[in-house]
Amino acid sequence: MGWWSNLKQRCQTCSRVTLGAGLVIGVLAVSFVMLTAGAYGLAWTNTEEFCIGCHEMRDNVYAEFKGTIHDKNRSGVRAICANCHVPHEPVALIVRKMQASFEVWGHLTGKIDTKEKFAKHRYEMAVKEWTRMKKNGSQECRNCHHFEAMEAEKQTEKARARHAKAQAQGTPCIDCHFGIAHNEPDGPGPQELKIAP
Amino acid sequence: MKEAFRLILAILLTSPLAAAAQVDTSAAEALIKKSGCMKCHSVSAKKEGPSFKETAAKYKGKADAQAALFKHLTTNPKVKVDGNEEMHDSLKTKNEAEIKNVIAYILSR
Repeated sequence: MGWWSNLKQRCQTCSRVTLGAGLVIGVLAVSFVMLTAGAYGLAWTNTEEFCIGCHEMRDNVYAEFKGTIHDKNRSGVRAICANCHVPHEPVALIVRKMQASFEVWGHLTGKIDTKEKFAKHRYEMAVKEWTRMKKNGSQECRNCHHFEAMEAEKQTEKARARHAKAQAQGTPCIDCHFGIAHNEPDGPGPQELKIAP
Repeated sequence: MKEAFRLILAILLTSPLAAAAQVDTSAAEALIKKSGCMKCHSVSAKKEGPSFKETAAKYKGKADAQAALFKHLTTNPKVKVDGNEEMHDSLKTKNEAEIKNVIAYILSR
């Protein structure tokens, strides 16, 4: 306990209780500042401004997203990038953010910094995201769209039948609703992806 | 020489390549979107209905391709989905040129 003797030596007039309380308050204050800064940082990386801060996103997938139903609609409710592409659950959120920090390497090395390069890698990027959305049962879609809250009678007969089947079989939303906010890449779609359980 | 040039020109103009070049892609995609085709079809991926690429492959080199697709997209034929019969929706236009443009778009995938 060298650090404790050192601390006592520096403040010889302080009692043990005062020193202990000061230490606890200090640790709490530093933890609070770090947690707050971390939470702000995480929240900042979820903003639309952050996501389109790089031209790779702004000029490609964001440009495609503009004008789609998730961007503009009669009720004015929008889904921004993070709503669909970042998990809301704490552990899954941190895992995804860690993965995303590796994706920064792609930005720094210019992996998709031209339209041509982006097009070349579009399919593999789409497959990654489809795979994630299939594995979690399209949780980010279902954060807003709930089978239980759907008024089936307001849907077309076809939509009603498809949704009933999807609900019964536990089909993830992305199996059918892909390419709705971004251009569809050339290649097999989510239904054809073989996902290991 | 002149005859040969005319012949080559005629072949080129009637080739599938020429048909593809005549497609107004953005107009076709806009009408496809407006008509809700993408709810059941996709350009290259599997959905409830065949992908446009599958349809293009099915009709490749067939003389009746355009006529067959025109009928399919304008007369609400019955189609089988999951073993059940349902009515196929028509394109949301009566304009023949717009319909033919969509057909050319699908066949050129």
